[in-house]
Order: sequence, then structure tokens, then C-alpha cells
Amino acid sequence: MSRLHYIRPETLAEALDHLDRHGRRTKILAGGTDLVVDLRNGGARPDFILDVSRLSELKGIEFTPEGVSVGAGVTLAEIESSDILERHAPALRKCAFTFASRQIRNVATIGGNVAHCSPCGDTVPPLVIHEARVVLASMHDRREVPIEHIASGPYACSLPPDELILRFMLKPAAGVTFADFQKIGRRRELATARINAAAMARQEPDGRISFFRFSLGSCTPTPYRMQEVENCIRGQRPTAKLIWEAGRLLADRTIAITGRRPSTIYKESAIQGLLVRMLQPLVTS
Amino acid sequence: MDASPVRIQFTLNGQPRSAEFSANTTALKLIRDDLKYKGTKEGCGIGECGACTVIVDGKAVNSCLMLAAQLDGRTVQTIEGLGTPEALHPIQEAFVKGHAVQCGFCTPGLLMSTQALLNENPAPTRAAISKAIAGNLCRCTGYHHIFASIEEAAHNSKGQT
Repeated sequence: MSRLHYIRPETLAEALDHLDRHGRRTKILAGGTDLVVDLRNGGARPDFILDVSRLSELKGIEFTPEGVSVGAGVTLAEIESSDILERHAPALRKCAFTFASRQIRNVATIGGNVAHCSPCGDTVPPLVIHEARVVLASMHDRREVPIEHIASGPYACSLPPDELILRFMLKPAAGVTFADFQKIGRRRELATARINAAAMARQEPDGRISFFRFSLGSCTPTPYRMQEVENCIRGQRPTAKLIWEAGRLLADRTIAITGRRPSTIYKESAIQGLLVRMLQPLVTS
Repeated sequence: MDASPVRIQFTLNGQPRSAEFSANTTALKLIRDDLKYKGTKEGCGIGECGACTVIVDGKAVNSCLMLAAQLDGRTVQTIEGLGTPEALHPIQEAFVKGHAVQCGFCTPGLLMSTQALLNENPAPTRAAISKAIAGNLCRCTGYHHIFASIEEAAHNSKGQT
């Protein structure tokens, strides 16, 4: 009979050594706010819990020449209060404001939110618009993959069991004049997103959008950067009509991925409405 | 589930403690069932209701979403460490005077969230109070008395310092 063991490595090397030997039978605990629920309901039945919450290699938010580095063990509360992120990744900072509750933000980490691979993870759309690279370590290798490659499906993580997420490297929001994160949930606070989205743009003095990135979350099985919608907005001077049409396009593209479901009748309008509401500040005339 | 034992040392309401429990024990179970600090409640058990809120190293957390093993070396405060029936903490006093308590089940969690908030921000706006207690559900009061009592507690402790 298997027994559950709790292991808290002192160093990254110890953690990677454990994953090398027992990764397949291990669940990694970063904050625990998802894992403890899964342990309780039987959704997770590991032999080992590897608590990486105190590893210094997973901490810290830094602006570096290679980009904005956000440690996998950074909590949502730390993201919420980060001046570096306010400057260089404001949509990521904004997503932390409405993330779960204060109690959860104090403990939950960005690495855990990504690795859990919930389609409605709030940190994912902001990471996607910053073209975040995920820095991974194992005993034998260091590598980076794009954020879109972490989830292979809802709650299905594509990473091999011997790998640990160290940090995320974001392209900074240089020259961006507009950034936003929005979500629709069943209530204002402590809501799981039904739909969430992140956008950032540079609007020139003449009103033209010279740079635009957009990602819709929760609606597709894996993260997705909506390039069709980006192309529709980029180079344009947004009008009410243009953002309405972009919203229509977004809803159409999403339904093309998911197919029509019982929730589509609601989501079709809500997706369009969310984009229109988000991009309203960019409308020039 | 069979689980191997874990031994930790931590500070609970100002007292150094050691505890031993099985690896899958939550912080809530350790505090409430093993150590018998019954003020910390289990409501939903999945981090929605906040009845299990305690303060760990100065921050409000849901003890139902934390393994007891995560408390090793930490400083924990529960409602029993806030005030006593004879000498209520100013926040508790404000809740009593302001009728912020009805059935009382959510109250310990709300008091801990309030304590963490006022430690960080002694003069919170109503919006800041709303953010801080959004993870504490109260099905009785409608929250207005709670808001008013927290404002009163903030006001009173400002006068003391």
C-alpha cells in the first residue's frame, strides 16, 4: 500500500533530484490552494507532495535585459503590489486584483495557476499577451517553452514529471499606452472566470493603433492568442463600429474552436460584449 | 489515505508549539481538531467561505487550503489569540457594539481578515475593507453592520496610537 509523504526540499537541486526519481508519483505544492482541494476530493492521489514554496530560486519579480522575470513561486498578492509589473506588465498586475480572495492571493502562486492548467486561470491571458516564455528545469536540462505549450487540454499539463517551472520571462510592455484585464464571473469577487481576457495596445497621437495584442481565456481548452482579432485592430483608428465587428469576429473564431455548446447562446454575446467594453477607451471618434 | 507522519514546530498565538500529524492533514484540522482551537471553523472546506481564516506570518489565509506541514516555522494567530471573553480586542468590541454578529459562524474568520487588514492599513477606505473581506461570506448580516464595525475599530485604534 502506498503512503503519502510530505517533502520540503532545502534547495532546488534537492527538488529536481526528487522529481528525477519520483516525479511520476509526486504532486508539486507551490501554494497549495488548488492541490489541497484536489487531495480532499480524491482528484489527486500522489505518493509524494513536494513543497517548493520556500525555494528562493522560485521567488522574485525583476526587470532584466532579457525581459520581466516573474518567479514561479511569486504569489498573486506579490503580483498585485508590484511596481515593476505595474510599469512593465500592467495587465498581469490587474488580473491579481480580482483573483479569488485576499486569503487565496496571499498563498496562491503564478506557477501553480499556470501548471494547474485550468482553462480559466486568470494569469494566463496576461502571460500570453506578453509572449511569456516558461523557464523549466530538470536534473539534466534547462529549457524554455512558450506559455501556450504548457496546457495540452483542460487540467492537463504537458510538462514531463521531472520538470519544475522556475519562472516566467515576459516581454515588457514597452511604449504601450493601454493595457487591461477583464473577466466575467458570477459575482464581482471570488469568482471563477466564465470569460477572461487581456489586451495591450499602443495608440499613436493620431488615434491609430500601431501595436495590439489580445488573448481570450476560459473559452478555449488551451491558451490562445487571437491573432485574427489583433490583425483586425492593428493599424486602424478604432471606431465603435470597428470594435463591434472585432467582437463579432472574436466570438466567431472562438465558436469555430469550441463548436456550438449549450453555453454558446450566452457566451457568443458575452465574448463580443467583453471585447467592446475593453476596447472602448481606444475609440477615437 | 494512509500518510506518513510529519513533525513541525511553529508559534501559535504567541506560544511555541510542536505537533505531529499525518502528511495529508490540513492546517484547519491541526488547529481545530488536534489542538482544539475551536474558534477556527470549517464552512465549505474549499476556500470559498473564509470561516477558517487564520493569520500566518501576518497574512490572512484559508487554513482549509493549507497543509499543516506548511506551518512549520511560521507564526500563526487564531481568533483565540486576538482577545479573551474578559478582555475583548478592540475589533471584537466594535463587532459586538455594532451588531456585526448574528449566527456567529463567519465571525472568527471575519475578525482575522479584519486584523490582517488593519495591521497593514490602519485607516482603510470602504473599498479596501470590501476587498479585504470579500473572501468571508456572511449569510446573516448583509454586511453593512460589519463594514461599519470595521470602520469603528479602525477609528478607535487610531485614537489609541
